[in-house]
Amino acid sequence: MPSGRFIPSRLLLLLVLLTSAATAATDDQQPVVIKEPQYGEVLYYFYQEDYFPAIVRLLAAREQNQLAEHAADAELLLGGMYLSYGHHSEAAEIFERLLADKVEDATRNRTWFFLAKIWYQRGYLDKAQEALSHLKGNLPESLEREALMLGAQILIDDGQYDEAIARLQSWNGRTEWASYARFNVGVALARSGRIDEAKEVLDGLGEMDPFNDELTALRDKANLALGYALLQDGQPSAAKRPLQRVRLEGPFSNKALLGVGWADAEMENYDRALVPWMELRGRDLLDSAVQESMLAIPYAMAKLESISQAADHYLDAIEAFHEESSRLDRTITHIESGAFFDEFIENDPLDSTGWYWELENLPSGPESRYLFHLLATHEFQEGLKNYRDLTYLHRNLDNWQQNVDVYSNMLETRKEAFDQRLPRVMLALERADIEGLVSSKLGFDATLDNVEKSRDWLALASESEFRMWGEVAELGNSPALLSGIPEAAEVQDKIDLLKGVLQWGLERDFNDRLWGVRRDLHGTGEALVETQRSRRQIDEAIVREQRRFAELGGRVYSLAPRIEGMKIRVEDTLADQRSFLQSIAIGELQAQRDRLDIYMIQARFALAAIYDVASIAGDELE
Amino acid sequence: MDSDAAPAEAYGAAAQEAASRDQFRAIDQDVQSLKKEVLDLNRDLFLLEEELLFPANSQVAFFVSMDVGEYFDLDSISIKIDGKEVANYLYTEREADALIRGGVHRLHMANLKTGEHELIAVFIGHGPNVREYRRGATMSFDKGIGAKYVELEITDSITAQQPEFVIKEWE
Repeated sequence: MPSGRFIPSRLLLLLVLLTSAATAATDDQQPVVIKEPQYGEVLYYFYQEDYFPAIVRLLAAREQNQLAEHAADAELLLGGMYLSYGHHSEAAEIFERLLADKVEDATRNRTWFFLAKIWYQRGYLDKAQEALSHLKGNLPESLEREALMLGAQILIDDGQYDEAIARLQSWNGRTEWASYARFNVGVALARSGRIDEAKEVLDGLGEMDPFNDELTALRDKANLALGYALLQDGQPSAAKRPLQRVRLEGPFSNKALLGVGWADAEMENYDRALVPWMELRGRDLLDSAVQESMLAIPYAMAKLESISQAADHYLDAIEAFHEESSRLDRTITHIESGAFFDEFIENDPLDSTGWYWELENLPSGPESRYLFHLLATHEFQEGLKNYRDLTYLHRNLDNWQQNVDVYSNMLETRKEAFDQRLPRVMLALERADIEGLVSSKLGFDATLDNVEKSRDWLALASESEFRMWGEVAELGNSPALLSGIPEAAEVQDKIDLLKGVLQWGLERDFNDRLWGVRRDLHGTGEALVETQRSRRQIDEAIVREQRRFAELGGRVYSLAPRIEGMKIRVEDTLADQRSFLQSIAIGELQAQRDRLDIYMIQARFALAAIYDVASIAGDELE
Repeated sequence: MDSDAAPAEAYGAAAQEAASRDQFRAIDQDVQSLKKEVLDLNRDLFLLEEELLFPANSQVAFFVSMDVGEYFDLDSISIKIDGKEVANYLYTEREADALIRGGVHRLHMANLKTGEHELIAVFIGHGPNVREYRRGATMSFDKGIGAKYVELEITDSITAQQPEFVIKEWE
């Protein structure tokens, strides 16, 4: 088993997605050996949370059947990565297919819950509810709590208050979750007009003794919600008590102070109303409660007949509102120009994509102070994520567009070089005359067969032996040998001896020589077969390469318009997404400006009324 | 839990919220389908790029893997093929961490002719006791027809309490 390529099992991989990495790392699961480097490569990007390249590599490896050994893990990992990348529809499809029977209950439940949370945050209430319906078996306590809360929150957001109340009312724990549940019940009751029941629930929360900051903030929220619900219901006296329980320095104090003042004013106790309202005077004018207090103060003063003081306060308010309104106008223009989103993208490295990303700081600029609380809303955050993801896709397509241009040039250059070399190669191949060589070899085979058949030992003589045989034979034909002299007979004997020795040697070696020549001929035959094979390979390579050029060319040329088409669609969707975000941001700013405009009109009317009263009083004095 | 707003403010907003949610959803569905299409396109482009630049018959891929990594903090790796330096890669902390957790890094892709080749890899980092560490490893390999995968593996030798560097063909 190869060492060094162990990774956690697929269940653990999913846990990595669903819980913190630290928890996952300490979990003792069966290790998995990485058998295919392509799978390890996917993990390399996955562990760096670079989900886009990880998904691309996984899809590519799967397409080439390079993940056969890790098929099941890879599929689950893909679902998890789609989820992390914010491609929740594709993730849900995979989970629906895989989670039915291949993983244990705990992992499956956690995954469905995680998916439900994403659907909810993206505003897909029906799908979130459906994902929650997949939870089954005994859930761990914490998951059960969270799932119940999420389910109830979905109902509240969908306006199904009674159903939400029914679900949450049975929950009587003393934990933080139980407090949140009670708060949600209280708010749902108040929204459905059941003020007395809301009072009972929210009062209990408003009087609790919190043991941490989170619960302290929840207590303030409960008191604020109850106070305003009672004010709305015409119960100013009852509203005062919860509103006064809100901390003076907390994030809800401005609204509470304003509410306390209105409760007193409703009871015509203007002196007392001025106390909390005056406290608001020095606070941040961006807060709507502070803005409203600037009108409320002179209103109370006028009621107390401090007319000149009231007039001064109205004048101050009109000036402050006017300045703020002008700033809002400039901000709206800035956002309408699109510059705000360009700055946002410029400041963002876009190196890590995915659902986990969250914008923590808006680009510095005059608009940021107005938009800060938009960051807390799911719609704006999720919209920004989409905007960011689309920008990433656009850059990705841009890069590919450049690369494809390069590839197309590269392919054309290669094709040109191929076309230039091909005639030279063909010429060289024709010169080689392999067919002629084969026919010669066959001729040699036939000759050798004849030599063997006739035992033509002289045919196998070496060049020197053959020359020697010729010389000896020539000597034997010399006319001098026929002279009849004894020397001639002696020479004839010697010639016969020489011929005999030569023939004997050649006959003796005949079989060996025949075998040697056959072996050489056989070798030549094999070489010729190899040459023919090479030639066929060359022919095939030529055809293959031409086909490859055509196939690659087809792909390269068809991808270019595909990229271009997709870029246009990304740009269109980017524009839609931007205009959606702009409309949220501008809608928010517009609402702030409209409120200021109304306040300004109210202040002017009130001021005019004061001047009228003063003028009538002056006339009467005269 | 996001009921910051007082109930009075929430009453009129419900219809507007629903309309806004529908608008968001319509755009989000476009984004979802674009993500899928761009991912599929990237897959096709990735495969095309590989086939174009590194045809299977000449392709050799060099992968880096790590096991445990207790005795070695990886900084960089350089490799030479047949005496020529072809890659010199500096690892970020995030990348080194991904290796330790089981990721495999494709360090280099090359086109090589069939036949015998020599690979030299130099691993640079910090060994036990934060000492600077520089080790080489070498391997001869035979490139046949078809793609070849070579693994540069960093392991911990418990007995020697030292890192080990091995180059081998991916099995």
